[in-house]
Amino acid sequence: MDQEELKSLKVDKTVDARATACPGPLMAAKKAVRDLQSGQLMEVLSSDPATKRDVPKWAEKKGHEYLGTVEESGFFRIYMKVK
Amino acid sequence: MTIGLFSGSIDKLTAAGVILGGAAADDMDVEVYVLMQGARAFMKGVAGDTGKLEMAENPKLKEEFLASLKKLNVKPWLEFFREAKELANVKIYVCGLAGKIWGGETLDDFVDLVDDIVGIGECITSMQEADVSLFI
Repeated sequence: MDQEELKSLKVDKTVDARATACPGPLMAAKKAVRDLQSGQLMEVLSSDPATKRDVPKWAEKKGHEYLGTVEESGFFRIYMKVK
Repeated sequence: MTIGLFSGSIDKLTAAGVILGGAAADDMDVEVYVLMQGARAFMKGVAGDTGKLEMAENPKLKEEFLASLKKLNVKPWLEFFREAKELANVKIYVCGLAGKIWGGETLDDFVDLVDDIVGIGECITSMQEADVSLFI
């Protein structure tokens, strides 16, 4: 997905982990995904650069579909589809 | 994963908490065996008091370390352990001998995150059976 497609996604859940450092975003994502059904979309907001690699790797390992990352001013939006 | 947590220093406890948090996010089953200095850190009246826990390395930088954690919004070490227990199958066991060294004879002497007081045999068996074993 390109950046415009990612930005136009209507997500089912937003996890705002911008106030946390590693492994906070990962733990927040793990906690939030429990509330979602298969096929639903989740975005994780993080200001921690390590999250750009950490969360996509975690998502793929857990069987979720990593859709892409959008870089905003001072933070990232990481998109995934729940397995 | 099995962690032998010997250290009771705030820098290594924080590192253990970060690793534990990552493992819990990954759905790993984790058994933490708290040994020697670690047992003191899990005692009521000590666990939440950074003034009672030293640094393993660069002790003169303790205040700087704590201020930096606060600035970065990093949870206190004990909160990593608490949250990891909420996210995954994480058990925390205190070595019976280590507990006695610091006056901790019963579960009630330790913070509520501790699941049980055990002997070293259980720790060894867990390490033998674990895919990953860490000693911190």
